[in-house]
Amino acid sequence: METRPLLIYNSDMHEEVKVPHSVLMSVESPGRYVGGEKNQIVKPIDDSIVRTVFCFPDVYEIGMSNLALQILYKVLNGPEWSSCERAFSPWPDMDKKMREHNIPLYSLETKSPLNEFDVIAFSLGYEMCFTNVLQMLDLGGVPLLSKDRKDSDPVVVAGGPVTCNIEPMADFFDAAFIGEGEEVDLEFTRVIKEFKDSGKKDRKALLKRLASIDGVYVPGLYTPKFENGKFKGYDIEDGAPATVHKRIVKDLDSVDYPLSPVVPNNNVVHDRAYLELFRGCIRGCRFCQAGYLYRPVREKSMKTLCEQGITIMNNTGYDELGILSLSTSDYSELGPLTDGLLEVFNKQHSSLSLPSLRIDNFALDLMEKASQTRKTGLTFAPEAGTQRLRDVINKGICEDDIMSSLELAFKGGWSTVKLYFMLGLPTETMEDVEGIANLAIKIEKLYFDTMRSIGAKPRKPEITVSTSMFIPKPFTPFEWEDQNTEEEFIQKQTTIRNMLKKHRNIRYIWHDVKTSCWEGIYARGDRRLCPVILEGYKKGSIFDAWDQFFDYGLWTQILHDHGLKWEDYTRGRDVDDPLPWDNIDVGVRKDFLKREREKAYKEQITPNCRQQCSGCGATCYKAGICP
Amino acid sequence: MNAQEQLREMTRKQHQHEYVCRGLFERKGALSYIGHLDLKAVFERALRRAGLPILYSQGFNPRPMIVFALPLGVGIDTEGDWLDVSMEVPFDPDEYVRRINAELPEGLKVIRAVSIDEPQNSIMSVVTCAEYRIEAKGITKPVLDLFSKQEVITMKKSKGREIEVDIRPLLIKPLTSSTPDSVEYMCYAGSTKNLRPDVLLKALCESGGFSKEEADEARVTRIALYGGEYPDISAIEGLT
Ligand code: SF4
Ligand code: SF4
Repeated sequence: METRPLLIYNSDMHEEVKVPHSVLMSVESPGRYVGGEKNQIVKPIDDSIVRTVFCFPDVYEIGMSNLALQILYKVLNGPEWSSCERAFSPWPDMDKKMREHNIPLYSLETKSPLNEFDVIAFSLGYEMCFTNVLQMLDLGGVPLLSKDRKDSDPVVVAGGPVTCNIEPMADFFDAAFIGEGEEVDLEFTRVIKEFKDSGKKDRKALLKRLASIDGVYVPGLYTPKFENGKFKGYDIEDGAPATVHKRIVKDLDSVDYPLSPVVPNNNVVHDRAYLELFRGCIRGCRFCQAGYLYRPVREKSMKTLCEQGITIMNNTGYDELGILSLSTSDYSELGPLTDGLLEVFNKQHSSLSLPSLRIDNFALDLMEKASQTRKTGLTFAPEAGTQRLRDVINKGICEDDIMSSLELAFKGGWSTVKLYFMLGLPTETMEDVEGIANLAIKIEKLYFDTMRSIGAKPRKPEITVSTSMFIPKPFTPFEWEDQNTEEEFIQKQTTIRNMLKKHRNIRYIWHDVKTSCWEGIYARGDRRLCPVILEGYKKGSIFDAWDQFFDYGLWTQILHDHGLKWEDYTRGRDVDDPLPWDNIDVGVRKDFLKREREKAYKEQITPNCRQQCSGCGATCYKAGICP
Repeated sequence: MNAQEQLREMTRKQHQHEYVCRGLFERKGALSYIGHLDLKAVFERALRRAGLPILYSQGFNPRPMIVFALPLGVGIDTEGDWLDVSMEVPFDPDEYVRRINAELPEGLKVIRAVSIDEPQNSIMSVVTCAEYRIEAKGITKPVLDLFSKQEVITMKKSKGREIEVDIRPLLIKPLTSSTPDSVEYMCYAGSTKNLRPDVLLKALCESGGFSKEEADEARVTRIALYGGEYPDISAIEGLT
């Protein structure tokens, strides 16, 4: 593959980027590139204002469905001295045209090239968007490597869950926010404002100053050491903290939630408004990074939520409100909240879109009320096929529960069930894998038995089994585990496929093994991956999160060319090995994770935070549910 | 009857009365780059934000009852398109204009509106002709030349095959307001006979009368829509 042409763009003055009509007319969905949405905020371009561009390294439609974008857009546009605009990854057709016509990547609000901003803030929700970060910087006329940036270049910062191990991208970012951005964002931009106002220009001094903000990680101040290909800790520059602590919002009710989010003009993935019920999760499933990263659980009050939900609908004109959080069924006042919202919505021709709920009488009733139309599918996430393995991963869901709630649902007229599982979990045997197919078969039988018992005419039930690949992630009790190889994953998929072949009511959906395996490399990656990612980008990789663009062969080759092996990243680690993310502290302590790991091997359940505190360490935040 | 008209019919039967606000609207700038369905959604959301008493269709998935006179293609500006919004109660058209304009994103504006009590025909079925303006360097002469030809042949995809069509009968007349780089003309439009401006530009390029590069940069504006049988045409606002 050829090296992609880099953009030749250099401008010291503000110049509004004008995209020729013919270019817009030649690409798919040109509405992505023009802005002009209701509720967008256009502030003046002025030296006294710190200008941030919020970059979402995926296509417009995906980015605009992202809650973090809307929240930070509001926060950063709050003070008079701060402005925030938006930019998204141009789809490959537009990417090509921009290079051909030498059009720099620009913000949607003022059509300013990215390199005119003071701060470029990326939201990283998943690892596979890494090359899109480089695409956006490159098209925006910003040097890709932090060390190559001049005093006048923007400060490039990352946020989002991926920053808990930003090492694979450390060379490209000047800084990273650890934890939730709402508060730290403005502290960060305020420091930049002081710097700007004082006329100082020394970039290195600025970065050091930024590193002193709680929750800000400046990777350039930490030099990783390797011995015989193994990570051996960091050399830390004077003045930089030994560990960077995660920041959180303690009281979610006090957050300035975006009640007038930007309403896209062209068809986004989910054409609806969103309401976040709470952050964190009480459950502690041992494979789930989000469950540990967002601790402790913090709820918004029902009153706040009801008011916000109604206001958002009035301010956006959407006819659907989605309620969001990690495990919505755990919201303590879900019943009153949904009743309150539905009462208003029913009068306004609006509807409530429910995420997958834990199925019980209450949930079935709620689903019935929320979708006046037809019965939508039921969703279960047992994650593992046997009770033994579900205990290992601390997924507090047992087969009897699933069966009894399904029986209830089938009697109530439901016939569509989706089941989510993971392959490659620690201690998994073939018996566990077969358990996945067996559970689906049992459910199929249960459907017909139930219909017979109530004398109803059975329809054709639709049972969907979906498996994804387990990837060990930092800050979970499984962060030291071995990741399955491509072959192992495929073998397991084949086993299930064969077992379900004859069952015409059961559909098996499996995911692309290659993308997931590669994601595993990034998840527990280190700084040696930076040149790999850079080369992948230069050789044409963007939109790796999209299966149709991910070039597995190319990436494997590049990894090899850099003297690295797949196993360097996917292998199990010793619990005492230093880990690349040891300089990040998310509140959950390592000794707790070790304890959880031991309990996993003993197939012991840990109670959820509402039942009993297990002393994970997050109590240091003095917030939410913690004692 | 298409699905939309069927729904309309159903709704009409259940409601005693339908009060329509018929609005003339313009579109330019960023909003010109969205497709017809997206445009409809933008209007729907603006109507909801404005808190107007819009009538919803009956059935499983109630939709606001709004109908455009003619779909508007991606990339085309307009100064003269119409849309009908059905209300539950009689509604002052000036009030409607004021309230919807406060909610429409920049680039979309309702210029004026009239109220129609119980329209007999869907606004879609009354449109017969349209006026367009095409702006591009040197566009006017080759377009005017088309009007003096007997036939203007272009290729059109139909059921997976390319077939020859003559678009000359769809052209009505050039307008006197044309200048060298901006041509204005009238052509047939609507559900029976319709000449899309991009088809005209394509025909122009195929006949060698105009370069593809220039045509790609051409800006198209719909100036007005009419009903009636040419030359006996009339303004949309009065047609029910
Ligand atoms: S319920 Fe389990 S998997 Fe779901 S968010 Fe909570 S910890 Fe993660
Ligand atoms: S400190 Fe206790 S209550 Fe708080 S998150 Fe950890 S386990 Fe849960």
